[in-house]
Amino acid sequence: MNGYGGSILRVNLTKGEVTKEPTPADVARDFIGGRGFGIYFLFKEVPKGADPLGPKNKLIISSGPISGMLVPGGGKCDWTTKAPLTGGYASASMGGHFTAEMRYAGLDSIILEGISPKPVYLFIDDNKIELRDASDLWGKGTFAVEKQFKEKLGEEFQVAVIGPGGENLVPYACINHDYGRQAGRGGVGAVMGSKKVKAIVVHGAKSIPVADKDAYRKAGMALYKACKDAEGFKDWTRYGTTIVVSWCDEVGALPTRNFSAGSFEGGKNIYGPVMREKIVITDKACFGCPSPCGKYSRNKKYNSFVEGPEYETIGMMGSNLGIDDIEAVAQANLLCDELGVDSISTGNVIGWAMECYEKGIFTKADTDGLDLKFGNVEATFALIEKIARREGFGALLAEGVKRAAQKVGKGSEKFAIHVKGMEQSAYATHNATAMLLAYMTCDVGAHHNRAWAITYDLQVGRDKVVPEKVARVIWLQNFRPMFDVLGGCRLQWVELGIDRDLYVPALEAITGIHRTWEDLDKVGERIWNLTRLYWARENEGFGRAWDMPSPRFYEEAPTSGATKGQITKLEDVNKLLDMYYEQRGWTSDGLPKPETIEALGLKAVIG
Amino acid sequence: MRLYVDSTKCSGCNACRVACSLNLFGETNPKKAALVIEPQFPAPGIYNVKVCTQCGDCAAVCPTEAIKQDAQGAYYVVYEECIMCGACEPVCPEGVMFVRPNLVENTAWKCNLCGDCVAVCGTGALWIAEKEAATA
Amino acid sequence: MPATLRLGASLRILIGGRDEYAVEPGRSVHETLVSLGIKPELVAMVSVNGEMQTKDYVVQEGDAVRLLAVVGGG
Repeated sequence: MNGYGGSILRVNLTKGEVTKEPTPADVARDFIGGRGFGIYFLFKEVPKGADPLGPKNKLIISSGPISGMLVPGGGKCDWTTKAPLTGGYASASMGGHFTAEMRYAGLDSIILEGISPKPVYLFIDDNKIELRDASDLWGKGTFAVEKQFKEKLGEEFQVAVIGPGGENLVPYACINHDYGRQAGRGGVGAVMGSKKVKAIVVHGAKSIPVADKDAYRKAGMALYKACKDAEGFKDWTRYGTTIVVSWCDEVGALPTRNFSAGSFEGGKNIYGPVMREKIVITDKACFGCPSPCGKYSRNKKYNSFVEGPEYETIGMMGSNLGIDDIEAVAQANLLCDELGVDSISTGNVIGWAMECYEKGIFTKADTDGLDLKFGNVEATFALIEKIARREGFGALLAEGVKRAAQKVGKGSEKFAIHVKGMEQSAYATHNATAMLLAYMTCDVGAHHNRAWAITYDLQVGRDKVVPEKVARVIWLQNFRPMFDVLGGCRLQWVELGIDRDLYVPALEAITGIHRTWEDLDKVGERIWNLTRLYWARENEGFGRAWDMPSPRFYEEAPTSGATKGQITKLEDVNKLLDMYYEQRGWTSDGLPKPETIEALGLKAVIG
Repeated sequence: MRLYVDSTKCSGCNACRVACSLNLFGETNPKKAALVIEPQFPAPGIYNVKVCTQCGDCAAVCPTEAIKQDAQGAYYVVYEECIMCGACEPVCPEGVMFVRPNLVENTAWKCNLCGDCVAVCGTGALWIAEKEAATA
Repeated sequence: MPATLRLGASLRILIGGRDEYAVEPGRSVHETLVSLGIKPELVAMVSVNGEMQTKDYVVQEGDAVRLLAVVGGG
């Protein structure tokens, strides 16, 4: 099949068997790949009510038709599963080189099923595919394991590995790859850990077939040229996502002290240029990317090397914890990666714990003696370790911020910053109604990658609650995740601003199927609705209440910074949802209407 | 003319290798490229890139004279004339002459100075220029 | 000699209009933006002759000023 590796690899861990089957052409047509394959297989194959950490859940790893191709940024890999963090849908996007290598081995998806009786790793070298004993790797950190594989097998093997966080089933454990890229959110690492799979190593030397070689080369070259000619190309490449730290600080979007404000008095010490100057030694790209946002750092203060930190980690481990030292942030980043926990959720939950401590809800008797004041770097390092190992006070925080706050009570639920149980990522959403709606309705919980609309809030008016804003969020939600479906990166479009129509001839030449962006947006809408139906299937009473943000954004205005005194009214929060549901073709409780399901061709899928 | 590389600018994306395999074989398969990227991580955190200097040592040892030189000074393999004897591979000082029957059955391959790698490189790590005069 | 002020594609997508303006030196980037009717807070990054600057930077003769917006986030 043109544009595809051609096979789905099933790994039955309970029986220790691996089998290949052809990639179904109709699924490729309707869901294309990546995150589309992920939700399709999850919905069809994981039975209703499956325990996320039990044998019936599956971990579905998918590439897409632009992965590994002559298309800028074709380095994204989707990891879909039923989320241990939220009990709903999880899809984590991982950069690097893994997705391309999967395709060169002829694989479009790898589906991990069942539970292995002992620790194993999955070895893939083209057609040689085996489960191998990993008893000696269990308990080790992610960098040590990756290094060990690279030394033994060679640099062309790509490695995805869990750390102690995944082994200990921390519900926000991540998967690490390429010394610093992660499938971060929702607990995909815990699912891999529950299945007793320490690592997946893959190498392939097959060529990916395309429909029209000449048109493909021409379209690919045009895309690279457009990136390199883009006005922001040099600046973006120099700073990566850290470009936005100073701006977020300026406009009040930089999460500060557990999202109690959006501007940080120590902010200038963690801005992009400071980091570039102090610690960055080289740019580190995902597969095929001409504008690498990945920055690789040498941290002299802690005598360590780390990829990053990127914006999210600077926000969550820096300002959100009151830490104004870029080297300390980089070291916290390293600890999260090495131990295999998501730095966004980890920073969020530590921020909550610090606020609890400063409010007297926790004392040193609760925190294993740690002085959990905002800004305490050593306590932060200690907590990351305790969380990943579920030791002492870390065991409570390892539940995730929603469950931890439910256990502790005493009003701490009010400042547990999450949606649907997923910790909010690094954009403070005080009086930024489009961005707030984006977080509320994001299909995995409070994550920014589906729709990102703060600039739009500023342009239209931050407090405006108008149908155009809602329409903008929906358009972004349908369209942006399509890059995760295609197996590529959205940053060439969203940051360099290249014309998205340039992808159309490339995709057509690769797959042989003509699809305009209108067609692709429709696929995006189909996938969005299917993820919503999945949430509803798995959670009794699922509906509007699940889309509510943290009360912090409608009850408590910041007392400092750019958004001082600003708040979104609860009435407006509800108005946003009313408009959103209506425009989506959903009921007033947020469930897709039968006619919406029908129009999107989802009836046959959901059965 | 020859290809030059500044390894310190490489970000390891491999776009050059995809473009290379597409030019040499019409395939998307970086394993069939004529550049080598050796990532050195986690320390010291650099990509070591090997490219062809067009020195001609490969052509000098080829028993069938299948490696010829074009007008801009690039040595290229005439696929039909290669007998896969493997003489060229060990003499390459940069390790970018390839004889790999498991990947390509019927011919050796090397850089033909097409320039596609330079066109896709985003970081300016690769460029084509006149060969520097040999130093004593 | 006036300075040139260029808008990156991401910013142009947001506000439409021209991609290049000739501006008089002697005023800050912030003031210059206001005079052009561009909301300063939409601009995430100011690059002057290749170096990142703040919006307080006073534009000099012959400067090449580049402005970027953030439409994507991390």
